[in-house]
Amino acid sequence: MSRWVTYHPMTALAPAQAASPLPTGPGGISVCALEHRFGTTQALHRTDLEIPAGGVVGLLGPNGSGKSTLMRLLTGLVPLQQGEITVDGVPMSGDGLPIRRRTTYAPGELHLYGELKGREHLRFLLRGRPDDSLDRARSIAGDLGLPLDRRVREYSHGMKRQLLFAAAIAPEVPIRILDEISEGLDPAKRSQVLDLIDADAARGTTILLSSHHLGEVDRSCQRLVFLNAGRVVADESSEEVRRRAGRLVRLRFAPGALAPGSASALEGPGVESVEELEDRVNVMLSGDDPRTFLGRLAGSAGLPAPTSVEHGRISLGELYRSLYGVEGT
Amino acid sequence: MFKGTRGYITYGLGFFVVLEIMLVAAVYWWPTFEENLPSIKAIAAPIQMLSDLVDQVDQFGVSGYIVGQHFFKGCSALGTAAAVLFAANSVAGEAHRGTMEIWLARPVSRTRLMTERWLGGLFVVVAPVFLTSATVPALLGMFDKTMDMSDLMRCSLHMGGFLAAIYSVSFLWSCLSSEPMRISFVMLFLSVMVFALYLVEGVTHYSLYRLVEIKVFMRIITRDAMDWPLLAPMLACTVLAYGLSLRAFRRRVP
Repeated sequence: MSRWVTYHPMTALAPAQAASPLPTGPGGISVCALEHRFGTTQALHRTDLEIPAGGVVGLLGPNGSGKSTLMRLLTGLVPLQQGEITVDGVPMSGDGLPIRRRTTYAPGELHLYGELKGREHLRFLLRGRPDDSLDRARSIAGDLGLPLDRRVREYSHGMKRQLLFAAAIAPEVPIRILDEISEGLDPAKRSQVLDLIDADAARGTTILLSSHHLGEVDRSCQRLVFLNAGRVVADESSEEVRRRAGRLVRLRFAPGALAPGSASALEGPGVESVEELEDRVNVMLSGDDPRTFLGRLAGSAGLPAPTSVEHGRISLGELYRSLYGVEGT
Repeated sequence: MFKGTRGYITYGLGFFVVLEIMLVAAVYWWPTFEENLPSIKAIAAPIQMLSDLVDQVDQFGVSGYIVGQHFFKGCSALGTAAAVLFAANSVAGEAHRGTMEIWLARPVSRTRLMTERWLGGLFVVVAPVFLTSATVPALLGMFDKTMDMSDLMRCSLHMGGFLAAIYSVSFLWSCLSSEPMRISFVMLFLSVMVFALYLVEGVTHYSLYRLVEIKVFMRIITRDAMDWPLLAPMLACTVLAYGLSLRAFRRRVP
């Protein structure tokens, strides 16, 4: 082997709590037989979801998987067609106003009123909230370094995202629905935003967070719900996902070095599945310890030397393609 | 464009200034117009509809001239444009620029959001009609002429009803669309076409601007009463369009 690159099991990251099947009540979200269609496109197939109060739940999936539609349905932005939604013990009805009073929502799409100053925009976003929400939002925006006296059209992409975040995190509500809230942020700002989310969740707030960023999901979420093509394809604790990710070994080979079908040589005791992809092979181990497999790999005569071996360090897309057979982001 | 209270006042003030400038200019040229009326009648004679208009001004004097210049020409032509442009942007504009989601995501009912927007636009379009009309007696005072304020307010109400109907129909379309430019172009084209129809003998009765012609306003002034057979359908159209807009807005997806 030319290079042993990484041995970075995800299981070494922060401990997580497994999702607990508590009945949904105050602070929780319940979705029952929810379906939604835009014209002829079925955006969401029959979906059932129970999110108990407290903690951060990650909503993951590729573009067009139905994440934003689900979030908009939960806030009443998209009218309910079929199924039932209960948020904080309140069933969705009419235009969803009672639910919007109990939740905050930060949209994934970043369109703001450029002609307003940051300070004015916060006031606009927080209309209908208690007065102290605005003070808190300004304080959070100040901590994030946002220039509230400048017009929003002068803001960068990341600054606009932070403005939406400040407005979504400031009001005291039991539930927050945050769509791609850290998209476009630099690592330092992302960390700051996640710290605020973690602190808010620690106070008992339920947070539904959609993200394409595995690090973010891995750090903050206690439970992951994966959507694909309008269906929930996986719903499990992040600990379980980490454990499974930790069993994935990725081998890279020099271009053309890997003969088709030769990866089958890796099958054997301790290996759950082998996936061959051009110059790459993903191997799902049946246990957490890769040493037995790596020893067998070293002695495998039928394979060329890999250019790299990675264990537990994969992208979200690869993780879900490997785990669930669907394309990730 | 962001439409807060300040925005409505600003746009309303802008429309008021434009109407007032046109009104001041019209009043300023009244003596010249009166002096040249015989010549103007002779020029307008070959075109029946124009000739009728000039005859009405001749018949009713300065009152006919003012309602013709201010209501029939200024308020109906510019007011239609203002009503269409403002209504087209009201909801479709939010969808077009992508701000509809943050507009709707706040804990405010859709009925309230839409009604505020509808009323705000209506204020921008209608309030300047009343305000400019209120300045007519003072302007005419320069030439020792006058018009009764209550007559002017009744005429303004009639004019407001006409503009409210056009505004509300455009607003309804805005609630159903995401393309404010298309709404503006089509509605303005239709308005110009319908206004042009007014001047064509034989089809003039198909023009909506018959509802706000000089004769109608002079009837309101001479009878000291609103012309309810004309105003009531315009108000009914406004209320119906508002109701349909509300229905559409409640189902609106960002």
